[in-house]
Amino acid sequence: MKTVEIAVIGGGPAGLSAAINAASLGAKVAIIERDDQLGGQLRKQTHMFFGSKEQYASTRGIDIAVILQEELKKYRNNVEIYTDATVLGIYEDGVLTIEQGGKYMKLKPERIIVATGASEKFLAFPNNDLPGIYGAGAVQTLMNIYGVKPGNNVLMVGAGNIGLIVSYQLMQAGVNVKAIIDAAPKIGGYLVHASKVRRMGIPILTSHSVKYAHGKDSLEKVTIWQLDDQWKPIVGTEQDIEADVMCISVGLSPLAELLWQIGCKMVFVPELGGHVPLRNENMETSIKGIYIAGDVAGIEEASSAMVEGRLAGLCAAKSLGYDTENFEKLRHEYLAQLNSLRSGPVGEKIIKGLSKVTA
Amino acid sequence: MLERTGIPTKAEIESITPSDERRRKGPVAVIECFQKIPCNPCYTSCKFGAIREFKDINERPVLDFDKCTGCGICVVNCPGLAIFIIDETYSDTEALVKIPYEFVPLPYEGIFVTALNREGKPICRAKVVKVQNAKFQDKTPVVSLAVPKEYSMEVRFFNIDDYFSDSTYICRCEELTLGELRELIRMGYRTLDEIKRISRAGMGPCQGRTCRQLIMQELAKATGQKMEEMPMTTFRPPVKAIKLGALTGGVDNE
Repeated sequence: MKTVEIAVIGGGPAGLSAAINAASLGAKVAIIERDDQLGGQLRKQTHMFFGSKEQYASTRGIDIAVILQEELKKYRNNVEIYTDATVLGIYEDGVLTIEQGGKYMKLKPERIIVATGASEKFLAFPNNDLPGIYGAGAVQTLMNIYGVKPGNNVLMVGAGNIGLIVSYQLMQAGVNVKAIIDAAPKIGGYLVHASKVRRMGIPILTSHSVKYAHGKDSLEKVTIWQLDDQWKPIVGTEQDIEADVMCISVGLSPLAELLWQIGCKMVFVPELGGHVPLRNENMETSIKGIYIAGDVAGIEEASSAMVEGRLAGLCAAKSLGYDTENFEKLRHEYLAQLNSLRSGPVGEKIIKGLSKVTA
Repeated sequence: MLERTGIPTKAEIESITPSDERRRKGPVAVIECFQKIPCNPCYTSCKFGAIREFKDINERPVLDFDKCTGCGICVVNCPGLAIFIIDETYSDTEALVKIPYEFVPLPYEGIFVTALNREGKPICRAKVVKVQNAKFQDKTPVVSLAVPKEYSMEVRFFNIDDYFSDSTYICRCEELTLGELRELIRMGYRTLDEIKRISRAGMGPCQGRTCRQLIMQELAKATGQKMEEMPMTTFRPPVKAIKLGALTGGVDNE
């Protein structure tokens, strides 16, 4: 059986940052990535990132994916990369089982950093199985990875950052966005994103939800209706929107199956998107040697995911004896960056959620 | 309300609008960022120290209008594309509005586009004066639109739906394009005759047979005039171009 010092599960912004820091200290790292390339969701993010210089603000996500991989190459002697490789399970003896290219393999790491990200939440409404109804992530993959136009007229469901950004990207791709609706009374995403799509003429209808999807072989029309301040639909407010694509972006759930399998203590925290593991300040879960970073630890922006990755990588390597005289300085710097990213009004929910899971 | 619709309120816009006095002095940035979010590239990119230092990354930008030169570096560094440059010194009647525009095709310089407000509603025609797309802009081109001065704080986007029609010929003899015609109408030429005299449309070999109807249609669309009520141009002989020799060699030596 193969062995490695640190297995990083997931090669997105959190996983790459974790691998870079661990390998830079000298630890032997294996990155296991389900996709055929590293970068995770960064590969689809054509927009400029928020945050500050430390988190590559003003740089486009796709370019950040390249920057992180270039940084990782500096430590290539310490890094093994498995792409097209899915971790199927973590067992109590700490062994990972992996499927790669149709082959089954085992890997025994001394530490594990779980950076598996998140999955998209779905909505229940009649005919939600019609072709043409997508998650926002799928639409982004079609457009920005494969260059495939998902359709001609889109109804976007969800006015969070993902819904707003994907709407903008759809318009950039020459696809018409008919409207963005959200059940909440207020726009959840950054208001600058909202203003950006609004001035292109896309209406944003808050307090609206999907009543019914229509179509014979695929989506043709969507009936939406308004919600009152108790979030109850108001009969008589129905309106039809002709659309061949409905794009659902109503939030993300941490992808935590592996943490459940190994027995990490999990808590349901709505503010963080669902069940997330208990952890200490250094991103270590209730099971010693198992660390987390990124959306699996709680849904946040990629900027925080990268800092969490840096922190988890640093601490996991340190626990194996790989040290740096800067350890405490770096650790405090990452914690300060996280605090600063979360310190504003949009971070209040995150802080509240984290207070329930941080030991 | 901004939080429900994405459209900033009048009060919000007023709170970030540079004074009339400052606007008369030259180009200046207008930062339409009304929410505390963790983001500071406007501050870090400004080379003139015109944006107050962020004590906390969630602060909203505060611009010192007197230090701002309107250079536009913050426009391409703002991840929210929430910064615009306005220059009311562009001409006596027009202001420039510089808009970040991440779409293809980019408009050509010189064409006319439909300028939109913050709701995406058309408010006027605007001329594309400049399209900047340098490497340092990292794929955020900036389009400078010339708009009537009173719309400098209204125009925030544009449509190039009539991208092709703007370069479409209305008068083939005298080479008047639809874009040029629209510009003339916007400048205040409101009758067929005025347009004929200023542009020569209708004074070429075909004597208006191609363009007359088209100009009337466009006038009707742009001004709401009824075609049946529009004053016609004056018709004078000859109805077609003829050689001078034909005049000198008349049948009865007249």
